[in-house]
Amino acid sequence: MAQVVYGVWDGVVHDARRNLPGTDTPLAALRNFDEFDEGNAVRAFFADRGFFVFDESVSLVDGLFHYINKAAEQSCGACTPCRMGTVLIRDALDKMRRGLDSPLDFDDIEMLADQMKETSLCGLGQTCCIALLEVIHHFREQIEKEVADHMPIRAQHGMAYMTAPCIEACPSKVNVPRYIDYIRDGKPENSLGVLLQKYPMAATCGRVCVRYCEQACRRKFVDEAVGIKTLKRFVADQQKGPHALKFTREMIQKPLADGMKVAVIGAGPAGISCAYHLLLHGYHVDVFEKQDKAGGMAQIGIPNYRLPKDTLAMETDIIVDLGGRFLFGQQLGADFTIDDLFQRGYKAVFLGLGCQEGTMLGLKNEEQVREGYFTGIDFLLKVHDHVDGINTFQLKGDVVVVGGGNVAMDCVRSAVRLGADNAHLIYRRTRDAMPADTEEVEEAEKEDIDFHTLCTPTRIISENGKITGIELVEMEETEPDESGRRSVRPIPGTEHVMACSTVIAAIGQQVESQERIAEEGIDFNHWKCVEADKSLTTSRPGVFAGGDCVTGPSTLIYAMSAGLKAARSIDDWIQFGTPRFFKRSRMRELINENAFLANDAVETPVRNGYRVHNPALDPDLRKKMFSEVEQTISLEDAYTEAQRCMRCYRLYSVITKHSIPEGAA
Amino acid sequence: MCTTEPISYAGRDPAEATIKLQINNKQCMAFPNETILSCARRHDIYIPTLCELDDIDHTPGTCRVCVVEITHSKHNGAQIVTSCNTPVREGMTVQTRSKKARDMQKLQVELLMADHLQDCATCIRHGDCELQDVAQYVGLTENRFFDRLLAESRPVDEASTSMIRDMRRCIRCQRCVAICRDHQGIDALVMEGTGNNRVVALRDSTDPMSNICVSCGQCVLVCPTGALGERDEIDKALDYICDPDITTVVQFAPAVRVAFGEEFGMPAGTNVEGHVIAACRKIGVDIVLDTNFAADVVIMEEGTELLGRLKEGRKPTFTSCCPAWINFAETHYPDILPLLSSTKSPQQVLSTIAKTYLPEKQDIAADKIRVISIMPCIAKKDEAARPQLGEAGKQDTDVVLTTREFARLLRREGIDLKTIKPSSFDNPYMSEYSGAAAIFGTTGGVMEAAVRTIYSVVNGKELDKVELTQLRGFEGVREATVDLGGPIGAVKVAMVHGLGDTRKLVEMVRSGEADYDFIEVMACPGGCVDGGGSLRSKKAYLPLAMARRETIYNVDRKTNVRQSHKNMQVQALYRDFLQAPNSEKAHHLLHTHYEDRRKDLRHTVKEIWDNLSMSSVLY
Repeated sequence: MAQVVYGVWDGVVHDARRNLPGTDTPLAALRNFDEFDEGNAVRAFFADRGFFVFDESVSLVDGLFHYINKAAEQSCGACTPCRMGTVLIRDALDKMRRGLDSPLDFDDIEMLADQMKETSLCGLGQTCCIALLEVIHHFREQIEKEVADHMPIRAQHGMAYMTAPCIEACPSKVNVPRYIDYIRDGKPENSLGVLLQKYPMAATCGRVCVRYCEQACRRKFVDEAVGIKTLKRFVADQQKGPHALKFTREMIQKPLADGMKVAVIGAGPAGISCAYHLLLHGYHVDVFEKQDKAGGMAQIGIPNYRLPKDTLAMETDIIVDLGGRFLFGQQLGADFTIDDLFQRGYKAVFLGLGCQEGTMLGLKNEEQVREGYFTGIDFLLKVHDHVDGINTFQLKGDVVVVGGGNVAMDCVRSAVRLGADNAHLIYRRTRDAMPADTEEVEEAEKEDIDFHTLCTPTRIISENGKITGIELVEMEETEPDESGRRSVRPIPGTEHVMACSTVIAAIGQQVESQERIAEEGIDFNHWKCVEADKSLTTSRPGVFAGGDCVTGPSTLIYAMSAGLKAARSIDDWIQFGTPRFFKRSRMRELINENAFLANDAVETPVRNGYRVHNPALDPDLRKKMFSEVEQTISLEDAYTEAQRCMRCYRLYSVITKHSIPEGAA
Repeated sequence: MCTTEPISYAGRDPAEATIKLQINNKQCMAFPNETILSCARRHDIYIPTLCELDDIDHTPGTCRVCVVEITHSKHNGAQIVTSCNTPVREGMTVQTRSKKARDMQKLQVELLMADHLQDCATCIRHGDCELQDVAQYVGLTENRFFDRLLAESRPVDEASTSMIRDMRRCIRCQRCVAICRDHQGIDALVMEGTGNNRVVALRDSTDPMSNICVSCGQCVLVCPTGALGERDEIDKALDYICDPDITTVVQFAPAVRVAFGEEFGMPAGTNVEGHVIAACRKIGVDIVLDTNFAADVVIMEEGTELLGRLKEGRKPTFTSCCPAWINFAETHYPDILPLLSSTKSPQQVLSTIAKTYLPEKQDIAADKIRVISIMPCIAKKDEAARPQLGEAGKQDTDVVLTTREFARLLRREGIDLKTIKPSSFDNPYMSEYSGAAAIFGTTGGVMEAAVRTIYSVVNGKELDKVELTQLRGFEGVREATVDLGGPIGAVKVAMVHGLGDTRKLVEMVRSGEADYDFIEVMACPGGCVDGGGSLRSKKAYLPLAMARRETIYNVDRKTNVRQSHKNMQVQALYRDFLQAPNSEKAHHLLHTHYEDRRKDLRHTVKEIWDNLSMSSVLY
């Protein structure tokens, strides 16, 4: 294991040479620091809370130069101390490491670093001098010795990485503070440009994302998290106005030869994202989709009142703008096989199959029901066809939806719109334990949906194959187990029957036609998901997979990030025969495994300014139709909301033994 | 960075100030969520500031000069914070001048100077600069970090006909962005670039024909330094004045005479009409005319035009005197251009008549006349350059000087306005004016002037009460119903000033929500008395508006003739030269047309990607 020779972390000095062990610092328990990439030892690490040195021969002056150089490169220039301080300190350290006379001595550097730390506007300026200050305060004789003879210092290898809590929380690693900055700067089109570097479905994401970023947002320590999703939707919706961006093939950096083609199976968020990035890499991409429209679960699984289908279509059409082809009505296993695809000359295949087979409740006598019983996914498909005008679908009487996830919410809110006299939601745990988005639950409550929590079905009641009711039993929470988690158990004797006309089981989904796909050499794991490694490579060479079919039912943003990752792996596989080392991922691993990104409170007083909300249609009106409930915020509101971001940027760097290989980026 | 809504503490009930804190050991009471700076100011405690501008509720927290040292219960030990955007807390102690706070304030200004072009003597703000002031206030004595190359690498945008944006002198306070975005509602300015390359830029394009800037110049009024300013054309004016073969004609706008004396230490709102005339003569101007005279002519033309439109049932009609408003209509709402009056602005009417009528009357070669106009406006420079307002490459108005340039011109000529003996107009053809023309310089003035004359035309008699107080006021949009009598009857009029409110009104007109017959628009809040070319204030926005307004109404009260049509020189102009308002000749000389200048500003994703900085570029 890598041994820290000396360093400072959160103000605690550690020096093995001077027998200062610093045992209560994370230095004792550093994980995964032995080598950065294979055979490449980590020699030192610099961060927002301090630094560690593993190899005594490391030059601090050179290491700090690389760290501050990144800060200078990333300084937004808004505030005075960071804008000038990073440049002045960088230039001074650069002179020093070259053995030249520096215009500033360490006292001057300390003064500037203090000024940056104490008076900068955002997280970058406030934290990028901490490691430097710790060095000056505790290891000053060492850096003075380094520059004493005015000899150039031998260049060191390494890399620097800037991130923020919201970026790390996002599966796609969207540079959130940057796109908010662009709104603040008055450039929403650049903001959209930042999003488009990661995925093509920004307006869709701006409507239905579950917002991991907002959970990580530090503004919540002041008042409320920044409305990151609301802002995303605002910039993406500019596409409908006079400032819409034009998608052109110039976006493709280097078009590849005709034979360089890849098949993407499934036009859902994972497939669309993978196709998009492959197209940008220069490949020729055909997308095979069993439905007659693109979007996958975003098309059939998310009702129109949350995601209008023209919005989705505008974004999936980007694939066509970039020269990709959709082949609709093409189902893997039924219309073609993976063998066929390789025979037709595709260099690689991406499986973005999704989890489109609904799970039934598994109750006795449920097979006898022929009418009024649906899985969530089948039900949403019927809703989709209804809204599309393909098949009219009406409900009446009491409708019961079982489940507590977003699909359950979509089902129950759609049931109201389809004419259900009463819509009920049955969930076995408590309301707070529902996996659905809190906002979705709140909106459903506004639409007069009856919630029955701590309650689960035990029997389906039918007459002549037609549902007439459902038997339910009350549940109670058990005492917390060792991990603190409470379970639920039925309360005997509380069984009761609820009369209803329709039951919808929204309790889970799995990959369709697993046997046939397995026959093509694609392994499934014991969760019945496609087996894929970190690089999304499956058991069959040349076949990659991502999205729900690998993870089980998950979120749009996870699927889109999988599409990006798979595209990178496919490109590497075609060009180099193997997925390559990706240095930014490795850096993230270090930061996340060691929990370096402190989720610390905001101690400086900040003026409260609560977030803006998307205007919404009145619940009494919207209950009757499928038009979009939430509207885009105004430009004024977007400016106001963007002001709330505190830019919690943090900088990390490593010094390594050898140069770090350049991976996909 | 986190101010989200405008909060005005002035005039609030002191009982609501419930937060107790100490500033410099003095007990202070603050309102909840109030900033330290605001609280300090209410308690008469000074903190040096730079980027902040209270009058427009602007606290971007970017200069970081206003740092103070605080202690409070949520944090161990003292903290340094910016007072402009840090809220007070119960029991907080604040030290605005501890050694550490003072050192950091001083170092901050020194760092601001590091990439700021410091050729102060060549700067248009020399001696009137907020950065120079703040350097003095923090006691700056050294300038260790100045890097001339860095300063000079910053861009200077000289593409506009009216403005220069010298980013070498910009301190990135973003006041210009705020006034343009939040107050004028144009949103033409964006922040661009990162690090030292961070600059204020024009949205989409610097090409003046393609961007959406309307040259209202409000950004210049709030700029703390010499970064924003008008295109300086003093030397061009001097070239004409000093050329013996050229007959120079000067005109100056209604508002100039009431918004100029301050520059020379006279009380705000002093009427310096006579001083300006005398100064012009002293520097060698051949003929001094009055834009007010042309304002009376405009009323004759526009009033007649309006009556014609009312008879045809065409409405509403928008005024056309304000060039920033014309720029706005042409680039933002070209569909409403047919609703604009075709009458030229007073500046252009005067220039045209000076080059047609005056030569006949005074026996001067028309091609030897050069018109220099002095305007509280920078958009007038755009107007003078309009292709519609000149012939064969010769513009009707040759040079437009803003009030600020005129002040500098007088200094260059060694003239102190305060000590000069006032004179008066002496041109028998084009210098008399009515009270109606005088009030053109303030919001509501053009409307009032028009009503005075139209009423008379319709009814054959004058209004009983000339001063139409229902048209006066300072709200952004005002409306009134005026009974014009006769076949016209009651008309609904509206007056709007400031482009933020103008946009709202135009949207209402386009949607059919608003039903007006006649709408007066002035792009600058307050009208021309606070135009984008008028004198600058420091750390304040429009502080002298009311004094200037009052004087302009007093000018009206003191004139012998208070209706445009009763101006004897105007009557002579029509009798001897133009025949009648809206005659064929008048139409040819005094009316103009507008063009759709809206541009398709769609970008490709590729262009945007090339323009992105600081994000993780993938390919």
